[in-house]
Amino acid sequence: MQSPPDRDPAQVYLASVGTALPGDPVDNATLAKVLKVNEEWIDHFIGTRTRHFARDLGTGTVRWSLADLCAQAGARALAASGVDPAEIGFVVLGTATPDNLMPATVNHIADQLGLDQVPTYQLQSGCAGAVQALGLGRTLIAGDGHRAGLVIGGDVCSKHLDLNRDLADAAPSDLVNYVLFGDGAGAAVLTAEPAAEAVALRRVLNRFTGLGREPGQVIDWFGLADRYEDRQAVREDYKAIEEFVPVMAVEILWEMLGDLDWSAEELDYLLPPQLSGRMTRRIHEELDVPGAIEVSCVADTGNNGNALPFLQLERLLGQMSSGQKALAVAVESSKWIKAGFALEKI
Amino acid sequence: MQTIDEFARLVREELGIPLADGDLAADLDRLPEWDSLYMLKLVTALERTTGRKLPVGRVLEVRSLEAIYQLAVKP
Repeated sequence: MQSPPDRDPAQVYLASVGTALPGDPVDNATLAKVLKVNEEWIDHFIGTRTRHFARDLGTGTVRWSLADLCAQAGARALAASGVDPAEIGFVVLGTATPDNLMPATVNHIADQLGLDQVPTYQLQSGCAGAVQALGLGRTLIAGDGHRAGLVIGGDVCSKHLDLNRDLADAAPSDLVNYVLFGDGAGAAVLTAEPAAEAVALRRVLNRFTGLGREPGQVIDWFGLADRYEDRQAVREDYKAIEEFVPVMAVEILWEMLGDLDWSAEELDYLLPPQLSGRMTRRIHEELDVPGAIEVSCVADTGNNGNALPFLQLERLLGQMSSGQKALAVAVESSKWIKAGFALEKI
Repeated sequence: MQTIDEFARLVREELGIPLADGDLAADLDRLPEWDSLYMLKLVTALERTTGRKLPVGRVLEVRSLEAIYQLAVKP
């Protein structure tokens, strides 16, 4: 394994976080009724209590686009940071579910936020995209000399929530997606100097580890030539995910602690991977850092992909005090990407 | 669905699991492919067919397809 090319770059800070969840939370009773599946089963096996959907569950109408949700989250992060929008030097978005393939959704977000003449980047990525956005943002400040930037993660998984579908025909690898996912967005303002929350971003891990491995999750896309082909739009190898994600999470935790020269006892907060209420509980137990406070959200927000780390960050910032340390672990099971980041409040 | 044969047909057709002799009585862990999502598909199919809600708590306590059948026809 190569060591990460991370030779202690100039310090970068997290100034603020903003999030956006569409509409009212949808509980298991409502979801079970719409999907015509058993509510108790969702409670027991998925362990997620509520989620939010950008699409109206009754009519199927799209109420918010990904750009709308990300712009809301971005505006909240900007307002909380105290940073003048004119000082924002770049915008980075991580998502697996862009509104269009072109223009990249990040540009619509910049437009909605009134940002212009700035570099924009969109990372096509699953659960690790938010971490990659933080990593790229950190590099743009530490390496390119920007003073501040906006990094965003969001997903609109309900694009694949086909309400007219009879799930009796669905394969288990397809069915699971209907009960796991939700929609949402989150954003953070990164700065070169401590501002607002003044949390130092000590380290970011982002590593592809999928050489020769079958994907754990695939989201297909369709064009005019292949839109009628009988292919499953979303496939999840949930058995592989249940087997490998907890192991990878433990590896990430200990690798990052080693690189940071932090002991597990020094950790005040742990942000574990957010798969589902049940899987996250299990992974957190296996991470086994009893002295650290768990910061999770998935049982309330559903798995909304790239929004998750920002939703966790929002919960973290509300309780983090000066000198405290936090470590976040994320695993993208699509092509098995290890990700994580470490924070320390100044 | 009333008989155990009709139940076996439902398992084959709705879940796509080919049942061999003895599979109905076998421990669920011994069925190849069996997992919690197949359980959801079976519960959903049974509820649709019988028009009754299945007590998931009790379904989870039983260890064979035959026992699930008993719960579905004799709640």
